[in-house]
Amino acid sequence: MDSRTHATGPAGHATPVTRVAYGQWHALEDDLVVGRGYLQHRPDGRLFISVDAWHDAAFAQLAEAMTAALPAPLHTVVDEADTELTAHWRRAGFTVARREVEYAVPTDPEVTGLRAAVPPPGVTVVPAGQADAAMLREVDRAIRAEVEATVGWRSMPAEVVPRAEGDTIVDPSLYAVAATDERHVALIRVVRVKRPRIGLLAVRAGERRRGVGRALLAHALGVLHRSGISEAWAEVDASNAAASALFRGVGARPVGSTLELVR
Amino acid sequence: MTAHKNVIEVEGKVVECLRSAMFTVELENGHQVLAHISGKIRKHYIRIMLGDRVLVELPPYDLARGRIVFRYRN
Repeated sequence: MDSRTHATGPAGHATPVTRVAYGQWHALEDDLVVGRGYLQHRPDGRLFISVDAWHDAAFAQLAEAMTAALPAPLHTVVDEADTELTAHWRRAGFTVARREVEYAVPTDPEVTGLRAAVPPPGVTVVPAGQADAAMLREVDRAIRAEVEATVGWRSMPAEVVPRAEGDTIVDPSLYAVAATDERHVALIRVVRVKRPRIGLLAVRAGERRRGVGRALLAHALGVLHRSGISEAWAEVDASNAAASALFRGVGARPVGSTLELVR
Repeated sequence: MTAHKNVIEVEGKVVECLRSAMFTVELENGHQVLAHISGKIRKHYIRIMLGDRVLVELPPYDLARGRIVFRYRN
């Protein structure tokens, strides 16, 4: 594949942009690559692009060539603290679609105030590794369907990992759940690689505002604390007021943020 | 036209997390560079933390800055 646009780099050299493969572009100067652009198809159907360039002109040319060649909407991800990169994308016509805040979450019950957090009557917490796999998948599917029917699941998760169609539970042993006698009503997933990460905390629509999520969070943080881990990590969509309030209420502090941009 | 990959790739360790999404990376030879995360891995929401082993691209004309293009698992 060899579709090209031409521009002029900072030193006055021609900076052609070449689409070298279906999802890859190169910006060239003197036969050397000074910038690269990549396209990624997400499993949810969205197109994400990125540009890595060693100077501004190459970035602009790559962004222009890619946006001209690809159908809208196009998405990209930047660290909000990276104001220079964000400005590049804004100049290319991208606007903020979503903001996600990264929190450092203390685990000590004396700090979180969660020592007394217990599930409501009739609900018990089932530790990670002990949840019934079939019921776990059922509650995961049900919650995703509820989200899709309201705010839209696409707006919720920070990351989309390729998975077998219809099965979003990759490793059931990572999930603790809140359960009644009949069914699971909420789940929390904690991944313990380097810094423990709370990847998902969700409660079925009819079970919210009863303290179920708080009790699950108390359980998960308590397990980490007892194993000597003082801090976990969670990402929360800034527009999700309930989730933000829950984490801030246990003493979580924002340590960074990510912007999802769209054009 | 043949496009050459005109960068140097070096392994290093993140020794400082700075503002503006920048990191100080100590290379295997002890040299330190200022590096940011490549857009390619940022798209995958990969977080870089203090102590992470990473692969850094350096442009041949400015060896004081770089771009983190890979984070090793351990």
